Amino acid sequence: MKEMIKITASLVIIFVAAGLIMAVVFAKTAPIVKIKKEQEEAAARERMMPDADNIIETGKWELYGKKGKYFEGKKEEETTGYLISTYGKGYSSYISILVSVGKDMKVKEIGILEHAETPGLGDEIEQDYFKKRFAGKSLEQLEVVKVEGTDKIQAISGATISSRAVTNGVRESVKLLKEKYSEVTE
Amino acid sequence: MSNAESRISYIGLIKNGIFSENPVFRVALSLCPAVAVTSGVKNGFMMGIAVLFVQIMANVTISIVKKFIHPKVRIPSYMFIIATWVTVTDLSMAAFVRDIYAQMGLYIKLIVAFAIILSRAELFASKQKVMPSFFDGLGNGMGFLFALVIIGFFRELLGKGSLWGYPIVNTKPLLIMVLPTGGFFAVGLLMGLFNWIDMKFFGGGGAKLGEHRH
Repeated sequence: MKEMIKITASLVIIFVAAGLIMAVVFAKTAPIVKIKKEQEEAAARERMMPDADNIIETGKWELYGKKGKYFEGKKEEETTGYLISTYGKGYSSYISILVSVGKDMKVKEIGILEHAETPGLGDEIEQDYFKKRFAGKSLEQLEVVKVEGTDKIQAISGATISSRAVTNGVRESVKLLKEKYSEVTE
Repeated sequence: MSNAESRISYIGLIKNGIFSENPVFRVALSLCPAVAVTSGVKNGFMMGIAVLFVQIMANVTISIVKKFIHPKVRIPSYMFIIATWVTVTDLSMAAFVRDIYAQMGLYIKLIVAFAIILSRAELFASKQKVMPSFFDGLGNGMGFLFALVIIGFFRELLGKGSLWGYPIVNTKPLLIMVLPTGGFFAVGLLMGLFNWIDMKFFGGGGAKLGEHRH
């Protein structure tokens, strides 16, 4: 009985102390991370839409319970294209993606903003060779296949789940943009 | 190791971690990350640095608080201390060095489950004073870093023909070396090399089946 109390006390002291340390560090760092993330996202938007001189937020949407935003890029009141932030449900994390879509509703470019996929396998989604597979794809083409080819999205070998997550996220975002804007463009 | 504490020299501890008890090549711990992240020198280096830091911090903390840890629940206690340091490292790097974090963030979270860190906590830091624990952590962390870099060096050079992402040789590379298979080859051959060096130049008997040095 006495030993049981001792064990409990020992665990409680260590866990509470460690918990407090983590809480303090989190409280100190969370606001800094939030500001820096917003700056990075704004920079990513400008990088992915170099031809627009004004990027306006036009709405919010939700995928897998995560909140995304979409934007319209304008140059002298003329719409140049759309940007949308979306998510993929990856192997070990939510993959945060930014998609640039042209007026023809075809994907122009994708950017991987944040993820925690397996190093050496899943993190290949960051590589240019994979991101380029999305360029010029329409909604119907956004599907993962395991064979070589450029008609659809070829999965990365060893990282099928991560590849599929990115593709599904992009497809959902293009679908949403199409619903919102297709009557304007067609 | 159980000899008088005063006889332990700090340089000896570092040498011990890097060479005679190298976590990967001699003790054969944490082989999973040693194979998984060493497809290139850069990955190995980043992982090694992260492990080095967590190893030192975990060793020092455990050495300081060892009096409060009840022996019957020491493993969960060690795990929690390690997890705390991993979380603190992860959060602070995400806030203050974001460009490095973008490269290393993936690796840091994995360290919680590394055998080498828990093993040094159990075998060394829980029995020793703070300074020896610090140097033991430094030695073992550097030993792990060294192992990952050297495995990464051979695998990247042979498998991709490059080093740190820069192309070096312009021939068709042996793709197998960057695949997991090549990782096992590299670890096995280097382990053999280390045993050979130990036997040839230091008079050691090499690592034998079933033998443990502690």
